[in-house]
Amino acid sequence: MATDAGTEFSLPEDLAELPSVQHWFEAQAKHWNRRQGEAEARRKLDVLRSFCETNQVDPDALVKSLFRPTPEGPRIRLKQRRIVVEQIATFEAKARESLDVRAARDSGNVVRSFLIHNGVAMTAPIIR
Amino acid sequence: MEFKQVVGLRRSIRYYQPYRPVEREKIQTILEAARLCSQAVNSAWSRAIVVYRDDLSDDDREALKIPTTTAQLDMAPVWIFWYGDMSAPSLGKSTLKELVDIGALNPSHGWSHSYVDDVIWPQVLQPIAANPQALLALTGVEAGLAICQALLAAVDIGLGTQLVAVNQARATEILGVPEHLVPLVVQLVGYSAEDREAGGQRPRQPFEELYFEGRYGAPFERDDAVVDQLKRDGMIMSSAPAKWRHEEVRALARQFGLPE
Repeated sequence: MATDAGTEFSLPEDLAELPSVQHWFEAQAKHWNRRQGEAEARRKLDVLRSFCETNQVDPDALVKSLFRPTPEGPRIRLKQRRIVVEQIATFEAKARESLDVRAARDSGNVVRSFLIHNGVAMTAPIIR
Repeated sequence: MEFKQVVGLRRSIRYYQPYRPVEREKIQTILEAARLCSQAVNSAWSRAIVVYRDDLSDDDREALKIPTTTAQLDMAPVWIFWYGDMSAPSLGKSTLKELVDIGALNPSHGWSHSYVDDVIWPQVLQPIAANPQALLALTGVEAGLAICQALLAAVDIGLGTQLVAVNQARATEILGVPEHLVPLVVQLVGYSAEDREAGGQRPRQPFEELYFEGRYGAPFERDDAVVDQLKRDGMIMSSAPAKWRHEEVRALARQFGLPE
């Protein structure tokens, strides 16, 4: 996932051009039957960028890391999924340092939504 | 509630009021309904362990979750773990004789204690018990009848309910389940946070593709008048999705802080 030691990690300037991000937006719009506005899309991309920078991984590589190829088709990597679930929880906990619980959850949910619409089952502990 | 309405309103509820406990008498009612299901050889093929979400340690609760059931397990306050009892046929000799004695199995149909001892036990029940594949299939069917009645009873008393999978290996450890019980499903129970229609009745395969008359492949043709009557009775309801379903789901997701 992360870059090799010694190479500087960087993300593309426009994450929206990445196939996994395009797939996310298209699948989400299709599921909910609504197109998101420019501002909403930008906010999500900013959150996703922040998560990816924190974990030194680009969105396409993140999705790819969660599947392994098999003769029957791609299979989820459960251990890797658990790692990513933890990374999102940590990311959300960090966000709580400056945001309230719901706003921090929204940040975590942006990443979860990105993964869900790329085929990785994911949810969050409920807020009671 | 009328039976047809209970059948019509049953849904797999996936959003529960996490803060609202379920009255113990309602849980008992669910179990009482299960106990009265049809059961082969009148032996008990199912067992259930009622677990209260908030009585589990955080570690145990987390250990039971699998990716797609996490949110429901967080929300539903009661989890009923259902098991099949593979040893059920071993009681058949005595339970069948009991049915003979109370007039359920009668000489008019050929039943007697001798028939149980000399024919049913050695020629039917013992071979089933010795055939793991047949035993497992029978156990699944028989326990499933109890679970179905438990689901319908929950709906009848105004509760939301759903069958889910959990990490059964961990459940066996945590709950101290004996080896002769086969883990089947977990029935979640709670007060529904979503509308009881949950967006409408789920799609089903066409009636005529499922049910036949006389021979396989000859459809049992559906009478529209019967369908109309069942609609009036509340058994056949509007098909999902209701126009408002997406908005409802988004509102629920936001209420509970779940992803969209």
